[in-house]
Amino acid sequence: MARIEADDLRKVFRRPDKGPGLAGSLRHLVERRYTEKAAVDGISLRVDAGEAVAYVGPNGAGKSTTIKLLTGILVPTSGEVRVNGIVPHRHRIENARGVGVVFGQRTSLWWDLPVRDSFELLRDMHGLGAAEYRENLDRLVEMLQIGDLLDSTARRLSLGQRMRCDLAAALLHAPPIVYLDEPTIGLDIEVKDRLRTFLRQVVAGGTTLVLTTHDLGDIEDVCSRLVIIDQGRIVHDGGLRQVIETYARERVMHADLASRPVSLSGVAARLPGATVTEERDGLGVAVAFDPLAHTAAAVLSALQQEAEVVDLRIEEPAIEDVVRRMYAGQLDAAPGERTGT
Amino acid sequence: MRRNLWLYRRCLGAQLRATLEYEGDFWIMSVAALLTQGMGFVFLWAIFRAIPQINGWRFWDVVLIYSLVALTEGVAVLLAQGAWTMAVTVNLGGLDTVLVRPFSPLLQVLSSQIGMNGLGNLVLGGSLFVAALVHVHATWTPVRIATAALVFACAPLVKIGLNILTNCSAFWLKTPWSMFPFAFHTLGELARYPLGIYGLAVRLVLSVVLPYAFMSYFPATAVLSLGSAPWLGLLTPVAAAWCLLLGRWAFRRGLTRYESSGS
Repeated sequence: MARIEADDLRKVFRRPDKGPGLAGSLRHLVERRYTEKAAVDGISLRVDAGEAVAYVGPNGAGKSTTIKLLTGILVPTSGEVRVNGIVPHRHRIENARGVGVVFGQRTSLWWDLPVRDSFELLRDMHGLGAAEYRENLDRLVEMLQIGDLLDSTARRLSLGQRMRCDLAAALLHAPPIVYLDEPTIGLDIEVKDRLRTFLRQVVAGGTTLVLTTHDLGDIEDVCSRLVIIDQGRIVHDGGLRQVIETYARERVMHADLASRPVSLSGVAARLPGATVTEERDGLGVAVAFDPLAHTAAAVLSALQQEAEVVDLRIEEPAIEDVVRRMYAGQLDAAPGERTGT
Repeated sequence: MRRNLWLYRRCLGAQLRATLEYEGDFWIMSVAALLTQGMGFVFLWAIFRAIPQINGWRFWDVVLIYSLVALTEGVAVLLAQGAWTMAVTVNLGGLDTVLVRPFSPLLQVLSSQIGMNGLGNLVLGGSLFVAALVHVHATWTPVRIATAALVFACAPLVKIGLNILTNCSAFWLKTPWSMFPFAFHTLGELARYPLGIYGLAVRLVLSVVLPYAFMSYFPATAVLSLGSAPWLGLLTPVAAAWCLLLGRWAFRRGLTRYESSGS
């Protein structure tokens, strides 16, 4: 059964068309000109119960606008949207009971109140019974490890702490659908990992998840379906594995070396197909490799046979790279599934 | 309805707790409110020292009107100050989180702030109100008492409704400032004095277009049986309902135009 159904959804914003500087602003006062820009331009989407969808695209592609249309925050210019069978912007309160939303850039907690007070306000708005609330809260507190944050005011939380509390706030009423808009933005690796583990558990519990992100790691860890959007249109909708294996297969291992002399060609010879380049004036090596051809362990061992490795990190491709490559005339990942241009 | 009232009280209570985080602010605002309203009273007193009657209104009659403005302002500030946050909330996209909670967005906005300076207004307005009721020439029959209770209770709702209506301009203007609604608030201050002292245009605006006079002057005419048409004051509950409905209508219209903010 489709939990989320969007048909030819469009949202047009009218922006004042001002020239540069103060002169432009003043001219606009007498000569009013506007440009219309479709932030979301004909999106059709169907998400089934229990699906975890990654909704990605470059900055300004229309990701957040789509989420705001699906959650009923914005009223679409045209098109149809139904979530849990209701039109979200017409029945906002009913809609709110069935969804949880987290905006990475904005907190839904009451700024000057202890986190616990925010949770209790939400409990009352959702009309949760005492037992149900305690059970949900205990589970979330344990999974997100926020027990000792409950008595701090939201104002005093760090970004990572706040994000975990916001997730708990969005899930308190155990909604069947959860939207996350950039949930890992600005977080450090450890917190990201913890959040991803949590999201996997949420999805495993049967919750439908729609997640926008810039971070390919979020998607790989949590989602099974990838929707790529650019300039307000869906350019890819399909399996995640396929896209990643086609466009985002390459990993780069950066290694810092103890001493300078290292034979680049020696490393390259051990790793056929990989590209080896020098970094940091010879004190570092970057190896771009295909994980299907070489494991990270094999790359490391090849490096260690040529030099002493003191530190290393592995760089994953960014979603921007995927989109860019798909545009570079390589749009054959799933030609049958593409909609729009 | 009961659920809404209960949730409203819960939200306000939470705001009260949040506001008490900033104690200094509370005292400054309360003293400022006392001083502002007190100054107005001194002004009234000075005028009536020179002129004992204005259009048949004696000093304590006018004090009653004046105290009603202070009281309605006090109630509006204390219980529905959130209306004045609309400009900033709309401009910064703060309605996003409000719209995904299962509680009326308008009631959430109204209860999103508690203006403790309302207490200053209530204290001074209340004292003047009681003093005026003691001094006005009126016989307190049961009917008069019932009328007074009804119209005075509805008067603050007029102000709250008009606050919502004028602040909803934020959805159209999109500026982060409340200058536009504040201009109307200042216009509403004219309702501190008997309407008869103004020209026709001002009278029309204050009684029909934006009926601020229903928060003070008209209720007072009904209770004191003064002015050209005291029965008009009995329409205060109707005016209150009308203003609240207008406010709700404007808010709903505004929501369809709401654009959030980038990202």
